[in-house]
Amino acid sequence: MFGLIKTWKALEARGIMGINRRNADYVLKYNKRNLYPVVDDKIITKERAMAAGIHVPEMFGVIETEKEIDKLEQIIGGRSDFVIKPAQGAGGDGILVVADRFEDRYRTVSGKIISHEEIEHQVSSILTGLYSLGGHRDRALIEYRVTPDQIFKSISYEGVPDIRIIVLMGYPVMAMLRLPTRQSGGKANLHQGAIGVGVDLATGVTLRGTWLNRIISKHPDTTNSVDGVQLPNWDGFMKLAANCYELCGLGYIGVDMVLDQDKGPLILELNARPGLNIQIANDCGLTQRTHAIEAHLEALAKDGITEDAEQRVKVAQGLFGHVLGH
Amino acid sequence: MRSLTLHLKVLITVLVLLGVMVTAYQIFFLGIPVTEDETDDLWNIDAKVEFVASSKDPVKVQMFVPPLNRDYVSLNESFISNNYGVSVNRADGNRKVTWSARRANGNQTLYYRLVLTKRYSTEKAAIKGATFRDSLAVDGPEKVAAEALMAPIRQHSADVETFVGETIKRVNNLNDDNVKLLLAGDTSAQNKARVVDLLLSIAHVPMEKVHTIRLVADTPQSPELWLRSFNGNDWLYFNPDTGEQGLPNDRLLWWTGDDNLVTVDGGKKANVTFSLNNSEMNAIRLAKLTDENTDADFLEYSLYSLPLQTQQTFMIMVMIPIGVLVILVLRNLIGIQTLGTFTPVLIALAFRETQLGFGIMLFTVITALGLSLRSYLEHLKLQMLPRLSVVLTFVVVLIAAISLFSHKLGLERGLSVALFPMVILTMTIERLSITWEERGGGHAMKVAIGTLFAASLAHLLMMVPELVYFVFTFPAVLLVLVGFMLAMGRYRGYRLTELVRFKAFLKKADA
Repeated sequence: MFGLIKTWKALEARGIMGINRRNADYVLKYNKRNLYPVVDDKIITKERAMAAGIHVPEMFGVIETEKEIDKLEQIIGGRSDFVIKPAQGAGGDGILVVADRFEDRYRTVSGKIISHEEIEHQVSSILTGLYSLGGHRDRALIEYRVTPDQIFKSISYEGVPDIRIIVLMGYPVMAMLRLPTRQSGGKANLHQGAIGVGVDLATGVTLRGTWLNRIISKHPDTTNSVDGVQLPNWDGFMKLAANCYELCGLGYIGVDMVLDQDKGPLILELNARPGLNIQIANDCGLTQRTHAIEAHLEALAKDGITEDAEQRVKVAQGLFGHVLGH
Repeated sequence: MRSLTLHLKVLITVLVLLGVMVTAYQIFFLGIPVTEDETDDLWNIDAKVEFVASSKDPVKVQMFVPPLNRDYVSLNESFISNNYGVSVNRADGNRKVTWSARRANGNQTLYYRLVLTKRYSTEKAAIKGATFRDSLAVDGPEKVAAEALMAPIRQHSADVETFVGETIKRVNNLNDDNVKLLLAGDTSAQNKARVVDLLLSIAHVPMEKVHTIRLVADTPQSPELWLRSFNGNDWLYFNPDTGEQGLPNDRLLWWTGDDNLVTVDGGKKANVTFSLNNSEMNAIRLAKLTDENTDADFLEYSLYSLPLQTQQTFMIMVMIPIGVLVILVLRNLIGIQTLGTFTPVLIALAFRETQLGFGIMLFTVITALGLSLRSYLEHLKLQMLPRLSVVLTFVVVLIAAISLFSHKLGLERGLSVALFPMVILTMTIERLSITWEERGGGHAMKVAIGTLFAASLAHLLMMVPELVYFVFTFPAVLLVLVGFMLAMGRYRGYRLTELVRFKAFLKKADA
């Protein structure tokens, strides 16, 4: 009992945010319910982003009804690699990544060979709402498959590593690089076994990582060090993330981005309830940082100033950057 | 934000206060028992009137019966008599029953029976009494003796209370010559009361004789005489033998005044014997009885006024918030993962029919078989709705099979499985199977065990009879629960499992 109280006190002192605090003080406070569809439906997110001139993976087509599944062949066209996603999927469930064609069949990114019927069944499952948040009908989205930048080759097992930045009222608060592992099956979700690696907000240099709630510094599959890697185009990522506040209007989001080897930083999706493991990856609590931003906003509100994305990135980098020196 | 917090605090305070106050009102003012086992004394008083009727005249028997306007509630009153007409009338704060018959012969026996209880008595009626009266006429040596006695009494008393007490003490001092003279050799309680009355009348203090019955079981007794005087607010009762003030709790006021208990016209040798016995009765049943027999309808707007069948439904329904509370605490405070939000509560309700151990077994068996069917269906690549329908039908068939087998084996308990909510089971199987595929078997097991644990805990709590009784009788407690739930809505502390989840931070801190 005393041990638990001690743990509680220690976590509180380090500003570690728990689920209850995240929900009460951030998600419920900053995210208006009526704006959720913008982030929950990836198709709407994509349309908004394209309208705002923000780069996203190209959308090949949308399937809305069972009848339209027949169009799948036509949508795919001659492409050998593509991604099929539920528009309202949660936690990366229901995503099918086809990496190549093999005779009449397709090969997924994890090496499994599947037939066209299996893909159609997957699309059908998506439409019936098997993967959607509320279990209601959904749309399937067929889009460009991102080819990760070569920089990740050494520290990633397979799949697409992505970069998650938590953004509070347009200010980046914390960043993490998510690396798929053999266990996660090419997916970049931490609860499925992917690694999260903290990133210094100012420089884009990786810190140590977290894997299954543990702190690590080597990738379990490649045994290469995950820390000390300089992510390219870091300021581009930061600006992209900061811009997402205007894009969706939600005050507390997790922005998931990828670095495509041809197209540069792209926004994959937004998350209105970003997970908390990013804290372990950065070995730092979120609460202190969000409080700092809230204080900064209060000061700005007193002077009647609003800052644009570029200024917000500068502020965040000034406040939270260069953690390596500590 | 701050105003919202204040708003919430006010709301919580109001709800909790309201809940506590309503419950307190029910407990302390209405006297509704807190537990179902609470019992109360129930007194059964029989007054048996015997007399010999003369064959010539019509017979009229009059007897005082308790006025019942103080402290006690009558649950049942009956006048048992053959061939007698009965009427009850009130006069001067007394109640009198009159039995009458045109013709009667020989030994006659009449009964009066009263069942009463002390609990649930309504508020006392406004008490009225005289505070002044004229002196009784007295002269000669009595007057001198009385005045001689009065002087020290006046000196030793301050108010009506002490004055009456002092008077009674003096009258009981039989060595006093003045007292001897006034009593004239008769030291009965009746005579003493007469002398006290006389003395008090000289001081213009009103005094009334009160005849009481003692609530004590199986002891033959006759009415006991007490004196009472009105002090402007309340009656003060005095023991005529000792001058002690205050009527003991076990005395029941039968009648007041100088008249005899019973008067018989057209008969003789009237005699009244009392027999009392008491029994204990379940307090809540007593409350219901009282409610029916008096106009104190304090159960009128409670759930007890519903038809019995509806009451049983509500006994289950009022417990659902308790179950929900368990889930709330387990999920938000402890951090246990469950399938869906309220699925565990529904499963807990199903456990009512099956009993806990058997229910868990059935749930496990059906879910396990359903899961294997589901994983087989996975290969067939069916759409969701048809697949769910197949699983549901399979669950129904499975339940029917289990019922049939257990019936053949003589296990009647197996039949209760039919009441297991099938749709819930089907959804549980479906979601569990998706969880299994997406997050792996370990996670699915964790969630399934969490669900079963939450359901069992909720079930056990929802089945505690004392709790069911309490919530059903004092539904305002639910407001307190809502207050707690509202507070939980803004709880920002860690969940217990998060302390484990974030342990990595501390390990490093130690190193």
